[in-house]
Amino acid sequence: MRVVIAEDQALLREGLARLFADAGHEVLAAVDNADRLRAAVSEHGPDLAVVDVRMPPNFTDEGIRAAHWIRDAHPEVGVLVLSQHIEADGAVDLVSQSGFGYLLKDRVLDVDEFMDAAERVQRGGSALDPQVVATLVGADSQGELGELTAREREVLALMAEGLTNAGIAARLVLTERTVESHVRSVLAKLDLPGDEDGHRRVLAVLSYLRAQ
Amino acid sequence: MRGRRLLAWVVTGLIVASVPAILLLDSKAGSYSLDAGEVVLNLGAVVALTSVGAVLALKVPRNPIGWLLLASAAIALLGGFAYTYAGYALNGGHDLPGVRVAAAWNTWGWALQFAGLVAIAFVFPDGRLPSRRWRPAVIVGAVSFTMVLIGGMLWDEPLDAPFEEVQPLDVLPYDVASVTHNVGLIGMIATLVLAALAVRSRFRGAQGELRAQIKWVAYAAALIPVAIIAGTIEGVVLESEPGLLTELPFVGAMMALSAAIGIAVLRYRLYEIDRLISVTLVYGALTAILAAAFAAISLVGGVALGAGSTLPTAAATLVVALAFRPLRARVQTLVDRRFNRERYEGLRRVDEFLAEIRDGRAEPEATGAILAEALGDSTLRLYFWLPRDGTHADERGRLVAELPPAPAGRTPVSRGELTLGTLLHDPALAERPGLLDAVIVRAGLAIEIARLRVEVRHQLAEVEESRTRIVAAADSERRRLERDLHDGAQQRLVSIGLDLRHLEQGLGSEDDTRAGLDRAVTSLTEAISELRELAHGMRPAALDGGLAPALRELAARAPIPTEVVATDERFADEVEAAAYFVASEGLTNAVKHAGGGRVVMRAARRNGRLVVSVTDRGRGGASATQGSGLTGLADRVEALGGRIDVSSEVGRGTVLAVELPCE
Repeated sequence: MRVVIAEDQALLREGLARLFADAGHEVLAAVDNADRLRAAVSEHGPDLAVVDVRMPPNFTDEGIRAAHWIRDAHPEVGVLVLSQHIEADGAVDLVSQSGFGYLLKDRVLDVDEFMDAAERVQRGGSALDPQVVATLVGADSQGELGELTAREREVLALMAEGLTNAGIAARLVLTERTVESHVRSVLAKLDLPGDEDGHRRVLAVLSYLRAQ
Repeated sequence: MRGRRLLAWVVTGLIVASVPAILLLDSKAGSYSLDAGEVVLNLGAVVALTSVGAVLALKVPRNPIGWLLLASAAIALLGGFAYTYAGYALNGGHDLPGVRVAAAWNTWGWALQFAGLVAIAFVFPDGRLPSRRWRPAVIVGAVSFTMVLIGGMLWDEPLDAPFEEVQPLDVLPYDVASVTHNVGLIGMIATLVLAALAVRSRFRGAQGELRAQIKWVAYAAALIPVAIIAGTIEGVVLESEPGLLTELPFVGAMMALSAAIGIAVLRYRLYEIDRLISVTLVYGALTAILAAAFAAISLVGGVALGAGSTLPTAAATLVVALAFRPLRARVQTLVDRRFNRERYEGLRRVDEFLAEIRDGRAEPEATGAILAEALGDSTLRLYFWLPRDGTHADERGRLVAELPPAPAGRTPVSRGELTLGTLLHDPALAERPGLLDAVIVRAGLAIEIARLRVEVRHQLAEVEESRTRIVAAADSERRRLERDLHDGAQQRLVSIGLDLRHLEQGLGSEDDTRAGLDRAVTSLTEAISELRELAHGMRPAALDGGLAPALRELAARAPIPTEVVATDERFADEVEAAAYFVASEGLTNAVKHAGGGRVVMRAARRNGRLVVSVTDRGRGGASATQGSGLTGLADRVEALGGRIDVSSEVGRGTVLAVELPCE
């Protein structure tokens, strides 16, 4: 996987670059602001861009805006946005597009899951931070979600995070077949289209959760 | 302009120079000499007419009034000269030319003596006729005065004493001269009537300046009958022939009339007339009343106690002394009511206002408006002095660093040693200090109270502003701390974690160190998570996107179902922050006692206020002060001029609402 990193803090930028390098990926460029990120993406045409939300000059949403630009100008590039804090509204908007990810920065410390998410995004899948998913699911434990079993809710949350059936099976230490039956049950209970294991499923789950 | 000035100086010089010449002639006129009284009367009149005429001719040369006064003086001197010239010639038996003309002038020249004053009546005070329609009247005047003069001069009627021996000029046939003279006399009377009508037409409904100008002349003219009465009384009391002492009041009146015309035309201290009239009337009446009272008490007491007793005199003195002050006030009010309506009405308006303040029907801050009303000056503004700030403030307590340029009149207002403020008014009011000062003094207490209230209001506004600033400062401090935590400490910890992960990478899978590193990274992750929560509590970053997203996020994090109905409108940072924190506190409380029911958070703009409410359907019965974080938030909300309401009836749930001004 060929990666471009945009992160204004030098230590973290180097750490991220090394993390990808250690995992055997190629870091094409590691830059410190959104303009350089745009230039690097245009120049190298990477598989994945890892983007910090707050960057110079204003430290507000430069990363988000650069992410949208990449989506429009280079739709083939996966974008993984890293944030210092949770912003559920913006995050769900972003992840509703394919090839997008939104994770809290400290998720990088769980190297395996982080790399898993990065690769998913690069392949056109999605990755939504578990904490965002938790606020979405937690807000409506009394409604229809109350009809789900504890296991089914776990499966639903992982679906929302963007995991595939295989990913869910690995995370919950279950067989893929068991996971598939849980997924079918969840989709049936929530009256969601029983789609295949892809981005449209994530989308359906997210829009369901948001509507609650 | 220069030519006219020169002419004025020359005419004045000639008039002044002719006086000693006439006096010299008179000293050699023997039995024809003028008596001292006549000399004084005529000289006094000439001095008054000349001095005022010269001043006017120099200062306002385009206005004919000055020239008319100088002409009157010259005509008076001409009369004097004609008399002494004829007298000198007859006394010494000198054979001089024109003695008959001079003697005839002594008899008939009187007609011109007051032609100047009649002309002034037509053009007073601006030097122009009231309108073009008055031109024929002037022509009638000029023709009839000339006819009287010519008819008389060329007649064969005997001349007046002491020149009855002198042969009249007798140029015209008797009938022609008689008709000319008498028709002229009728025309003269008509002219006098027309002059009076001209004055009346001009001054009918006169206001302000014109009114004051008339008052001056009327005041001086009123002195003439006073002078007549005084002269008569004097003559009776001194039992002397009319002489110097009898003439003096007339000279005084003549001088006063000239001076009054001068003041009126030059508008110098024009409005002093009100005070002058008022003082004259008040003290005149006061003197008369007190003198009558004194005389009556002395007389009655004298009859009762017998002549020679000092008791009645002492009693009369005591009564007069005691009555003076209250009587003066009473007479002053009466005089004001009749002759100084503006002052009377002005003071009455202020008195009314003071009574309204006492009864709580008016605010002292309205003093400025009342003064404008009382002084009849709608441009008038009162500014209060705030010594602590070293500047003025208006009645609402707003500082006024520099007083506005208009209106241009400035009168400092003080009470004793205390400076209260500055009155800005029409400059014309400054010429009427009697009115202005009296009204300000009467309103003094109201102004002082208003000043104190304005000062307090201003200080309160300052305190409120500083409270708002403190809240805003606290908000930006929270924002800064949140940034520092997120972008500083939190990121640094993440990068340390990444370093540790990198070290871990290089170790064999069964190494104990690897397990240790993993534990370190796990607790580091927890530390980062706690730090993030801490920063979030400081000030949620979602607020950067507005109140609505922040409330939605708040709802999403809540452990119970929470609905958000919020406007996407943006408000001032500190307003959004305050609304958010109150909603957050309200939600926390709702979670505690909502009993698991649904909670609704609403945010909407209503009548210039942001209204945010948190409603639950729990058991209710909560109180606003009940050990919650609301007390601290109430201060924050009040600092922004808003308020918090909690309504919580048992069994009906709780509604927490906060209203914040957001214009």
